[in-house]
Amino acid sequence: MSPGAALRIREMVKKEFRQLLRDPRTRAIIFVSPIIQLLMFGYAVNTDIRHTPTFVVDHDGSADSRQLIDAFVASGYFDVVGRSGRPADLVYALDHGQALLGLEIPLHFARDLAVGRASVQIILDGTESNSATVAQGYAQRIVQRFALSRVAAAGTVPSGGVDLRARAWYNPNLESRVYNVPAVIGMLIMLMCLLLTALAVVRERELGTLDQLRVSPLSPTELMLGKTLPVAVVGLIDLAAVTLLAILWFDIPMRGAPHVMLIAAVLYILAGLAIGLLISTVSRTQQEAFMSMFLFFQPAIILSGFFYPIESMPTVFQWITLLNPVRHFLEIVRAVFLKDAGVLSLWPQYLALLLLAAVVLRVAVVRFPRSMAG
Amino acid sequence: MNWTRLLAVSRKEMLQIRRDARSLYLAFILPLVLLLLFGYAITFDIKDIRLAVLDESRSAASRELVASFESSGYFTVVEYLGRRSEADAVLERGRARLVLVIPPGYAADVATGRPAEVQALLDGADANTATIAQNYADAIVAGHSTRIVRAGRSTGLPIRAETRVWYNETLESRNMIVPGLVAVIMSIIAAMLTALTIAREWERGTMEQLAATPVHRLEIILGKLAPYVGIGLFDVALATGVGLLVFGVPFRGDVLLLAVMTLMFLLGALGLGIFISAAMKSQILATQVAMLATFLPALLLSGFIFAIEPMPLVLKGISRIVPARYYVTVTKGIFLKGVGIDVLLVDGIAMVVFAAVGLALAIRVFRKEIA
Amino acid sequence: MPSDAVSALGLTKRFGDFVAVDRVSFDVATGEIFGFLGPNGAGKTTTIKMLNGLLRPSSGSATVAGFDVITKADVVKRSIGYMSQAFSLYGDLTVVENIQLFAGLYGVTGGAFAERRDWVLEMAGLSAHRHRLTSELSLGWKQRLALGCAVLHQPPILFLDEPTSGVDPVSRRQFWDLIYDLAEAGTTVFVSTHYMEEAEYCNRLALMNRGRLIALDRPRELRQALDDPLFELHSDDAALAVEALRGLPVVLEASMFGRAVHVLVKDREQATRDVPEALAIAGRTCADLREVEPALEDVFVALVRREGGAVVG
Repeated sequence: MSPGAALRIREMVKKEFRQLLRDPRTRAIIFVSPIIQLLMFGYAVNTDIRHTPTFVVDHDGSADSRQLIDAFVASGYFDVVGRSGRPADLVYALDHGQALLGLEIPLHFARDLAVGRASVQIILDGTESNSATVAQGYAQRIVQRFALSRVAAAGTVPSGGVDLRARAWYNPNLESRVYNVPAVIGMLIMLMCLLLTALAVVRERELGTLDQLRVSPLSPTELMLGKTLPVAVVGLIDLAAVTLLAILWFDIPMRGAPHVMLIAAVLYILAGLAIGLLISTVSRTQQEAFMSMFLFFQPAIILSGFFYPIESMPTVFQWITLLNPVRHFLEIVRAVFLKDAGVLSLWPQYLALLLLAAVVLRVAVVRFPRSMAG
Repeated sequence: MNWTRLLAVSRKEMLQIRRDARSLYLAFILPLVLLLLFGYAITFDIKDIRLAVLDESRSAASRELVASFESSGYFTVVEYLGRRSEADAVLERGRARLVLVIPPGYAADVATGRPAEVQALLDGADANTATIAQNYADAIVAGHSTRIVRAGRSTGLPIRAETRVWYNETLESRNMIVPGLVAVIMSIIAAMLTALTIAREWERGTMEQLAATPVHRLEIILGKLAPYVGIGLFDVALATGVGLLVFGVPFRGDVLLLAVMTLMFLLGALGLGIFISAAMKSQILATQVAMLATFLPALLLSGFIFAIEPMPLVLKGISRIVPARYYVTVTKGIFLKGVGIDVLLVDGIAMVVFAAVGLALAIRVFRKEIA
Repeated sequence: MPSDAVSALGLTKRFGDFVAVDRVSFDVATGEIFGFLGPNGAGKTTTIKMLNGLLRPSSGSATVAGFDVITKADVVKRSIGYMSQAFSLYGDLTVVENIQLFAGLYGVTGGAFAERRDWVLEMAGLSAHRHRLTSELSLGWKQRLALGCAVLHQPPILFLDEPTSGVDPVSRRQFWDLIYDLAEAGTTVFVSTHYMEEAEYCNRLALMNRGRLIALDRPRELRQALDDPLFELHSDDAALAVEALRGLPVVLEASMFGRAVHVLVKDREQATRDVPEALAIAGRTCADLREVEPALEDVFVALVRREGGAVVG
């Protein structure tokens, strides 16, 4: 690089830093909002099914029916939020979203149980199909255990059969937060990169300052570097802050080495900035840039494996996710946090991020002068 | 308030929207793309979970158990392991989510009627999938177990749990996603449409021109709002249509009630956008604030994906100031539950309050700036 | 190396079907103040943007400082300063920070930087306001700062695109003093304007209308080229008076000139008779009728008429 180019880039970087850090509102967005967001969303991203609000209609009112209800409560998965003798109340509770699960124990439950022909009804609010599926599994298991304990008490243990002993690795209590908080980190960093770059070029174009830069010896590549470096630094600072917060506040174990994460972070941030700059270069107005940014960000989150495992998506979408930097970064972050994965085992993800960053940055630079000609 | 002036502002806004064709397309295409994407890519119905099998029994009985897993549709066997130590690597590399370990004595136990035991090793790193996978595995083993026992004797369990699912009988996650998604998409679209509209006029200097005319600030705000309400309603209609026709989501409630509620929601969400725009006065800041204030809260604190129930109290409180939360309840309620205004009254009132507060704030900020 | 600072040959820019600049050719000598005159939309800005590399010509060619603007854009950029129509410095940077940025972009460093910075602050009268945000400055100050940033690297050629539009007359005068100073120091100044009186300050003028170059000469020669007699008069309603006169056979062109009316005629004697008469019939007054020296505006109007077109803008 020529000394002239180095000087030009340095001045652009200084200018960008000044513009980023001068306005207290922008400073707040850059340094405070990620922390607040992680604090909020770290608690929000909880898919553990515990304390499911449950409404009980016990027509029998026997000792047996009460024991069954107790078994539900004792499991910790269900909280009884209401009891009644009338099924209409159960309908009301589910309609109003006061309960997600209804347990209806019919009359003569105790009598039927004695002869081995009892049945109970479990009613679920399917509008939360995710929770409903899991709650259904828990409820059935509780009923099954209850039944088994009765059989055992009667001394007629059914012989044979197969029992499943499940053990979860990396996250023995299957806490969803351990898995989701690292994903939130990836999401927040991508958002920050986009927010700080997607409007960067188009804004200068609308304000007319871009022409002033374009008549100067500053080349498109130098301009892109000048815009990228300050945001990359900001992104790394943010990443360090939220990572520390995840470890210290949310007690997410960080099993891997920091440098494994750092390499990934640099590549990921570069990819994010490249996408932001590309959006900014091809957009004609800031409004358009804003919408395009969202048009990228929302699918990128959905197709990242954050909420929903990629292997369950249709094959076409599985292919598309390969182009999604968020997907690769989440894989790395989760592996680093939970599995102590090393640099070597993560090379496909590193390579994917590197390729994405390089290609998109290149396209942004190439598109830059051309889009100006009109 | 003067209707002529209000209409003049609206007409100007509409002309500008029409000129900025790309943004207009995006306003219509965005909800469609997202809805189709979500609808097709995501079902939340976990299937084809990658399963690795360590079959130390190598018997007909153990193969039957594996077949039960495969025929369930929830699991796909990706690998047969030879040694226990391989389970480690398989889980660490993420090649399988679950390793089923069938011990050497399995066949003998089953044959002689002794309680057999198999092991499931789960990749707990993805707790969501692991929990569901564990449930599926439990159910499959229990079913298989029952068949084995029945084959010998006829002692079933003394209680049968009959499960019924309401509102979404097949537990189709699409049915839950589409109505909620309409709400989430609309809250971001609304903020996006209006967040820049006033900031842009400040940046271009046209706001001073407007302020110099007799037009009242309320007229500016309402005049600017009107075209976007139109776009928003159209978007919701479009998204609803796609939901019903393409994804076959049930619609059990009242269309008119949905329209009224949507209008309330849009007024609030658009008002919030205008408030951000008036307060920030710069497009780049307005974009950043709008994105932070609307998108992630709408996605994560609305009850769309993550239930509000288990959140800590503080966060539950915060979720009450996320308009999308109420609208998600409304769309799910109307689409799936078919409930009426009696059930949704509280949510309706909350949204009216939002609309009022959003507009009042916008007007207030605006007054300060002009003065 | 040619002695011309700027040279354009058949320069053309099309946007779709619209021809913004139509086969424009001219040469600007080194050290000249070259004026580009024409109404808004005449193609002045487009021409300047082609010369400084912001727009690619559809056809034709141009050299700036002897270098081809298309193939040697990099070298051209180092030889020119540019000040655009709209204020285009960073409002959220301070005065000094803006100077520092552009000094860095043009490679002005070390002692040269301090010297140039102080020169710009002095020249723009901003020494006391060096740490103020640029957005808080008045328009006149902003323009002088923009000029300062455009000449930080002492370019041999300076492009100014309507540098004084929207600036009050006093600031405009001061601004032109700066331009004179720069020209005296040897800088070639290429300046566009739609203020006719500013055009008089230029060494040579190019008149543009509807994308075409319709005249190119010194201001005095341009005025003398108008050989038909020109009359000035005052009336109670200038606009209606112009309308009444346009139909007369003797009148070639009637137009408003400030508050007065200018009438270009075919014949002196006939005009002194017919003009007051026509105004009287139309019910308009006619005062101070006298023959005057044509101003550039008259030349412009006459030339456009001769071209058979209307003035845009």
